[in-house]
Amino acid sequence: MGVHLIHRAVLSIPVLFGVLLLGFLLLQLVPGDVAQVIAGPQATPEVVAQIRKDLGLDRSLVVQFFIYITRVLQGDLGYSMINNTPVIHELAEAIGPTAELMLACLIWSVPVGIALGTIAAVYRGHALDRIIIAISVFGVSMPVFFIGLMLIMYVGYHWELLPFLGRAGPIWTLDGLAHLALPSLTLGLIFIGPVARMTRTAALEVMNADYVRTARAKGLAEHTVIIRHVLRNALIPVVTLIGLQAGYLLGGAVVTETIFSWPGVGRLAVGAILARDLPLAQGSILILAVSFIVINLIVDVLYGILDPRVGKR
Amino acid sequence: MSVKRLIWAATALAGGLAFTAPAMAQAQNSLTIVREVDSDRYDPHRSTARAASEVLFMLADTLVSLDHDMTSIKPGIAESWTVSPDGKVYTFKLRQDVKFCDGKAMTAEDVVYSIKRWIDPATRSPVAWRAGPVEDIVAKDAYTVEYRLKAPFSELLYQLTQSFAVVIDKANVDALGADFGVRGFNGTGPYCWVDWRPRNDMRIRRHDAYRWGPPIYENRGPAHIQEIVWRIVPEENTRLAAVLTGQSQATQYVPYSGMAQIRANRNLRIVENQAAFWTYFIGFKVDKAGVDEEAVRRAIVMAVDQEAISRDINFGETEPAYSYIHQAATDWNKAIDQRLIRTNVTEANRILDAAGWVRGADGFRSKNGVRLSPLAYGFTGSTWQKLMETVQGDLRKIGVDLRIQLFDATVAWGKLATQEFDMFGMSFPYITAGDALNLYFRSTNAPTPNRMNWKNADTDRWLQTGMTAVSDAERAQNYGQVLEQVHEAAVWIPLYHEPMKVAATSRLAPFKAHNIYGCGFYKGLDLRFTR
Repeated sequence: MGVHLIHRAVLSIPVLFGVLLLGFLLLQLVPGDVAQVIAGPQATPEVVAQIRKDLGLDRSLVVQFFIYITRVLQGDLGYSMINNTPVIHELAEAIGPTAELMLACLIWSVPVGIALGTIAAVYRGHALDRIIIAISVFGVSMPVFFIGLMLIMYVGYHWELLPFLGRAGPIWTLDGLAHLALPSLTLGLIFIGPVARMTRTAALEVMNADYVRTARAKGLAEHTVIIRHVLRNALIPVVTLIGLQAGYLLGGAVVTETIFSWPGVGRLAVGAILARDLPLAQGSILILAVSFIVINLIVDVLYGILDPRVGKR
Repeated sequence: MSVKRLIWAATALAGGLAFTAPAMAQAQNSLTIVREVDSDRYDPHRSTARAASEVLFMLADTLVSLDHDMTSIKPGIAESWTVSPDGKVYTFKLRQDVKFCDGKAMTAEDVVYSIKRWIDPATRSPVAWRAGPVEDIVAKDAYTVEYRLKAPFSELLYQLTQSFAVVIDKANVDALGADFGVRGFNGTGPYCWVDWRPRNDMRIRRHDAYRWGPPIYENRGPAHIQEIVWRIVPEENTRLAAVLTGQSQATQYVPYSGMAQIRANRNLRIVENQAAFWTYFIGFKVDKAGVDEEAVRRAIVMAVDQEAISRDINFGETEPAYSYIHQAATDWNKAIDQRLIRTNVTEANRILDAAGWVRGADGFRSKNGVRLSPLAYGFTGSTWQKLMETVQGDLRKIGVDLRIQLFDATVAWGKLATQEFDMFGMSFPYITAGDALNLYFRSTNAPTPNRMNWKNADTDRWLQTGMTAVSDAERAQNYGQVLEQVHEAAVWIPLYHEPMKVAATSRLAPFKAHNIYGCGFYKGLDLRFTR
């Protein structure tokens, strides 16, 4: 298992390099000029040119990328062009809230998704199954911004139950938890659908397996059969799905964070790209990519736990 | 865990969270203001964004202040001033009780340092021109500043009310270096810097020793409210909801679509300042084929329905504009009130017919093989997209085929400095006629900000005379002539004046909205919770 993990970690190094290169090139395509942003609308072309020179933007792309990579290898992600704060500092500030949001989203949506999927599988063909499938389709097809705005409109504004403006504090304070509720609900709602559908499909496949029949024949209670035998094996593809969906979730987090003014990495990335703040945008993209890789590693570990055969390969 | 138990747990959690709603009610001594964008930094000489000025007005002070009427100059940290007969030397007598947030007393040296840093080429301030043609600035004694000009500059006092002219602390600038206005700021304002998290929020705390507020406020200091949080909320509907639910107690950034809802709400009110000096317009490049004809420009201006734009796009919240600057602004020429071009599609068509522009099979006009199809540049975003599309529709009625290209704000300024387009959309804040005219109509300011390529010897002469005028009458007369000239030439399509409208909770005592550089709160000294 350990060897397997190290192997996977080593493999992700070229992936990261690719991400850096691609991110760098993509940001060159984003229209805009950071020097113009800093100089402001009424600046003369000379002032803009001077600022561009100060930022090193007048040098060739290859040189700019080379300088950037050398810095990153030394653990220096540079300084934000716009407000001169160390990128690493900005990212450190933003990663906590995003992790918090992800955790708060997964902690309720995954169990609910799995539960719904299992119920649908157990009651296959019944009205309950149909209802759950309908909910899943709804969840999959609803854009996250729409869900967010609807929640703000009803839960936040009409009923005034929960706040929706930024983050009030850490998750373990009541105020912090209240502020986290709506964003995590929004993000979770788009996650339930795929998880429930995948669980249902996988559970249906497993339900017809021989060992399940054996378990029933042993006279085990139905819920023991479902939870101990069916779910344990049905969850393997679901875990894969969660890993694959994590990227989608990070994308959703960008939108959710923007709507709820949540001070996370997603919002940081959007702000940085819009402001043409290259080092900060690069840093955010790097962090998002690293998160993605880490989530996949975690999925690998979970695999080993769920399916002992994986670690032995 | 059974499904049933799971549902119970979820319900309990939701219920528990609902009970925290009362906890959302804020402590009564903190004010949250939501706004759309953040500044890149809070360095008065390097930041030109309105977002920077909004906060800087609270963190620091200027020699003179601007009254709520947007025309009267009142004392600031200078209690009095005199101007030499030739208009070249301004002598400011400073108050002797002014202190920085760190407790240090402020003297003439600080004022001299601040203004010199502003105009120092090494600072590269994009707004250094606002300080006028400075010859030198000297501290005659600890509380007297002499501001010497190479030539009279009638705008000077107005420019010195702006956030670019605030007094800063040299020791603080030197200590922070590139982090000045990023990690800290030492000013003499009614509030002191606490913490800035870019694109999230800016926290400022009351300056307890503050007693030198401008006389335009009932409260000269210290401020009533302990802490102000400027919070960034990019989504306009979220900002509106934040105001409606009391999570933000005051803001000037609610969408027009929500104004009626706020007015209908007993717990909220809209505080307005009609002296709106922020104007939206579309300009012509007066030397490009087609729009180089004055008749064509006049017809196009006449075809645009400003009334409909304010009514339909802006929910009746803006003032239709027929003049290039607001008619209440200093030095507006009242003689041309009756001659401003009003909407009249029939007359516009007649003008184009008379000028020999013939409609083709597709309904669009051409003359001598030139099709009347101007290209307009502007900014992306819902505001300009809607405006441009509306104008495009209006121009179809007179056979003009407007083509539109919009760019992101970070690219648009560069694109607008080129000669590629025939028309361009823009909005701008100003304090006086001279402020606007000197920026846009001087020959030397082409290609940008004079994007019209308006080059006229008379204009330049009048602007120079107005700028260096020593008397108000002489200044107004010269600027008045320029106003008349450019309005006659139909160089712009004025669209609307954006008034200042602050949405605020009724728990705040009545206060006046300001509009300096488009900042509704100015120094915020009269903001006070009554309950």
